[in-house]
Amino acid sequence: MLEINGLVKKYKDFTLNCSMKVERGCITGLVGENGAGKSTTFKAALGLINYDDGNIRLMGKVPSKLTESEKQKIGVTLAESGFSGYLKVKDIVPVMAAMYPDFDKERFMSLCHKFSIPKDKYIKEFSTGMKAKLKVLVAITHGAEFLLLDEPTTGLDVMAREGILNLFRVYMEEDENRSILISSHISTDLEGLCDDIYLIHEGRIILHEEMDTLLNGYGLIKADDVQYGKIDKEHILSVRRTPYGYDCLTDQRQYYRENYPDVVVENGSLDEVITMMTGGKSL
Amino acid sequence: MKGLLIKDIRLMKSQGVLLLAILILAALFLGVVSSDVEPFFVVAYITIFLSIFVASTISYDEYDNGYLFLMTLPTTRKKYINEKYIFGILISIFAWCVGMTAGTALMIAQSAKTGAGEWIGANLIYICIAWVFMSIMMPLRFKFDSEKARYANIIMFALIAAVAYGISRLSQYAPENILRNVSGFFNSLGNNGILALCAVAAAAALLISYICSQRIMAKKEF
Repeated sequence: MLEINGLVKKYKDFTLNCSMKVERGCITGLVGENGAGKSTTFKAALGLINYDDGNIRLMGKVPSKLTESEKQKIGVTLAESGFSGYLKVKDIVPVMAAMYPDFDKERFMSLCHKFSIPKDKYIKEFSTGMKAKLKVLVAITHGAEFLLLDEPTTGLDVMAREGILNLFRVYMEEDENRSILISSHISTDLEGLCDDIYLIHEGRIILHEEMDTLLNGYGLIKADDVQYGKIDKEHILSVRRTPYGYDCLTDQRQYYRENYPDVVVENGSLDEVITMMTGGKSL
Repeated sequence: MKGLLIKDIRLMKSQGVLLLAILILAALFLGVVSSDVEPFFVVAYITIFLSIFVASTISYDEYDNGYLFLMTLPTTRKKYINEKYIFGILISIFAWCVGMTAGTALMIAQSAKTGAGEWIGANLIYICIAWVFMSIMMPLRFKFDSEKARYANIIMFALIAAVAYGISRLSQYAPENILRNVSGFFNSLGNNGILALCAVAAAAALLISYICSQRIMAKKEF
């Protein structure tokens, strides 16, 4: 669905250098701290910015060359952008109907009702959560084959977030050929949703892993100075000094549990992987 | 493009109605209170001011980085520009019709006696002026954000006024025979000919403006 090879985008004080792939039928996550390059990657993938090097194929074509009918197959939410705040939901409906032949007006309106989105209020008067929900509903109700979702759950409370994540699951269940690229800084959202994950840090992809592998194979070793000196470093991805010794991220949790029973090895979580990969030191 | 047009019409319905009401009321008020105000002024005033609303729709699109999202919709940069110019032409025609209605109402109220042909013909020139205004404002609006575009507009209109003033001053020093020929040319055109010339000039301005806007949009980074 999306293939980014050697993308380079240079700004005055930041350079994005990124390669990634979103397979058909998969939900791929893109995580990273603020300013890591997530939104720039989305903008480049959608043909909204020029880039200095590399190539991007979105549904088999250079993004800026996509035709109207090809763009109808894409649903997008952007962290910092949406329909004009001077429009109301009732204004958006005819616009969507005119732009997307497969726009499901009834479903859109019923979801607006379900998520308490007012029809007759200017979007600029919406709360952050309402705006976020509206963006998602716009993206998923026109029969898109591929969703590119940049921070779609930002500003949502726990219940609304779970409701929106369920919409993504339903969206994927409806057609096995659909795909999603989603970025979020709420890692628990991605843990329960994604098939694979890319971690971006200071403009570079520093980790790509299957979500199952990450949750079942990765672990956090908590060792004191003596234990750290003894353990095999071959499968240690990143190390961080702590007041009691060392935190070590490994992708071979079971290996360390079996061979070093006196060392604490916690299950890996996306949050820990992010923290260790971006804040730790690789060996 | 249909979707974009619907969006702008909806924006106009929600944001432009107040502007329209103010323009009509102000024009009629001026006309009734001050008998010096010509119905022609009312038509010019409403046509030009309402036509400029097209630049406001660009601001509404830009609000909260809206451009970014708009360009992810099933449209292209080229079609976005096409839509803005089509909307601009449609709105100028609509504004002229509104202006003509208000102007005619004022003319009847003032018991002014102007022939229908002269009334319509003379007022058609205001659409041309509105198009020239749009031609200047739109590429500047695409190039700059709203704040910078405002200054750019002021500079551009000041420049045009300065050039016009310069030409009028220089014409005093032009040789008599050239002035006579120019004057003779315009006299020979008649009212209809001058109107046609204005229409051609306005259409040419729109075309140049459209080409500039397309180039600006093609290079724009969101």
